[in-house]
Amino acid sequence: MISVRNLTKRYAGHTAVNDISFEVDRGEIVGFLGPNGAGKSTPMRILPCFLSATKGTASVGGFDVFKDSIEVRKRIGYMPENVPLYDDMRVKEYLQFRAQLKGLRGRSAKRATGEAMDICSLQEVRRKMIGTLSKGYRQRVGLADALVNKPDLLILDEPTNGLDPNQIRQVRELIKRLGERHTILISTHILSEVEMTATRVIIIDQGKIKASDTPQNLIQRLQSSGTVHLEVKGQKDNIIASLEGLSEVKSVTTKNSQQDWLAIDIQPHSNVDIREQLFALAREQNWPLRELYRDTASLEDAFVNITGTKP
Amino acid sequence: MRPFFILLRKELRSFFLSPLAYVIIALFTFLNGWLFSSIVTAMRLRVNQHSLVYNLFDSGWFWMGYFFLFPLLTMRLFAEEKKMGTLETLFTAPVRSVQVVMAKYFATAILYIVIMLPIFVFFFLFQDITGEQAAFQDGSFYGAATILLLVGLFNIAIGCFASSLTSNQLIAAMITFVGVVLHYFLGFIHFFGAKLPTELLDKVTYFSTVEHRRLFSEGLIDSRPIVYYISSAIVMLFLTHQVLERRRWKT
Repeated sequence: MISVRNLTKRYAGHTAVNDISFEVDRGEIVGFLGPNGAGKSTPMRILPCFLSATKGTASVGGFDVFKDSIEVRKRIGYMPENVPLYDDMRVKEYLQFRAQLKGLRGRSAKRATGEAMDICSLQEVRRKMIGTLSKGYRQRVGLADALVNKPDLLILDEPTNGLDPNQIRQVRELIKRLGERHTILISTHILSEVEMTATRVIIIDQGKIKASDTPQNLIQRLQSSGTVHLEVKGQKDNIIASLEGLSEVKSVTTKNSQQDWLAIDIQPHSNVDIREQLFALAREQNWPLRELYRDTASLEDAFVNITGTKP
Repeated sequence: MRPFFILLRKELRSFFLSPLAYVIIALFTFLNGWLFSSIVTAMRLRVNQHSLVYNLFDSGWFWMGYFFLFPLLTMRLFAEEKKMGTLETLFTAPVRSVQVVMAKYFATAILYIVIMLPIFVFFFLFQDITGEQAAFQDGSFYGAATILLLVGLFNIAIGCFASSLTSNQLIAAMITFVGVVLHYFLGFIHFFGAKLPTELLDKVTYFSTVEHRRLFSEGLIDSRPIVYYISSAIVMLFLTHQVLERRRWKT
């Protein structure tokens, strides 16, 4: 669906993206991930033909974004960052205008507008002026605009930027549902968003692609420390001695305790899972046990590991 | 062609659904009405050889107000879209830049015509009430209307171009005002004591709106100014188009 080859974009004095290449297949939901200012938005603005590239090529559905820009734009629904909209138009009127502009006529434009409003739950505000809408609704109007002509490809630049947790959840659900019908390229610096929606993640940092894989694979690449957290009640010395008695255990550290409960971090020798042994021990010793879990790496760890910065 | 009409309708809609258009229409109708009645009074007190149409458009007061019209009409065209970021959604839809430019241009031209119409209604009212001729011949009447339309079309194109240069409406308005006024005063250059060789002075009168206006409001329809204004407007619109396309060519 998307093919980007050796794309470079320089602005006066700095290089936003430097020689990046990637492909996106039909039906994929690809998350573009990177720290702020990493160059995420630049390819997202080049693909819908808003900006030119300094070097390299990009095509959508086989059409070059520069030479066949109109053909490309017919196939793309693009939602820019910060969702620019005409504040002096009503929601329905705006979407109808956009549908017509994207080539839908008369009745089919009306039908498409209705459907887009249904999908994005905009029916209740369809007569409101866009300027009076809350940020969450604006975001949904932007999304409805992007998908009104049922494009093959949706490009969403930071779609949940500035929303409250409830709205973020709604938009995320929506994107997930849209993924069943559209190919989606979504950029964000919010990891949970990508972790929940994307089938593939492209991590971009300082204008370069640092990794491109499924979220699961990225996480698995990280060696988890395998530390196990345990909370039991009992005699402190006794507990520590018993734990250190286990052959797989490398070290035991106690943390703050609440009342009689003792919180302990247990580091195994290699990356083995010792939760079963710990449970057996607690049962044998009759320690009341209220917590037992093992550290797993998250996408955040993968991100920090790859880019060296917090998202 | 279809995107052009969709965009034209949207532009007209946003003009006529906003108070700005009505404020401008009301203001100009009032000012021109006032000027009109003053000129009728002046003509009654002191007879002169020209018609009412000629006298009205010969008045410096008319042109003073007229210059302010174009910054007001055109400043928001592109500057506002740039500022709001809607240029990005507009140009990522399957529309050509030329369609966008033309739609905005013609929407503004239509608004301009609506603003200018009351003046001509005044003339008809005058003729109806007094039974006198506002212009000595029909030609002078149509000539005045034609030159106003031509100058307006050119000035709107200047405004379009200025608005495409910046995201600040005030700056766009200033550039338009300076452009419109400079062009107008080109015809007055010899009044400012500029010692120009006669050859050059002759050339300057080709660009002089004052000169064109005199000819046209005497009923002399000259094809040279028509070609001049229309081709100049096309050049300005072409430049506007290039400014908007620049982000796609710039590497």
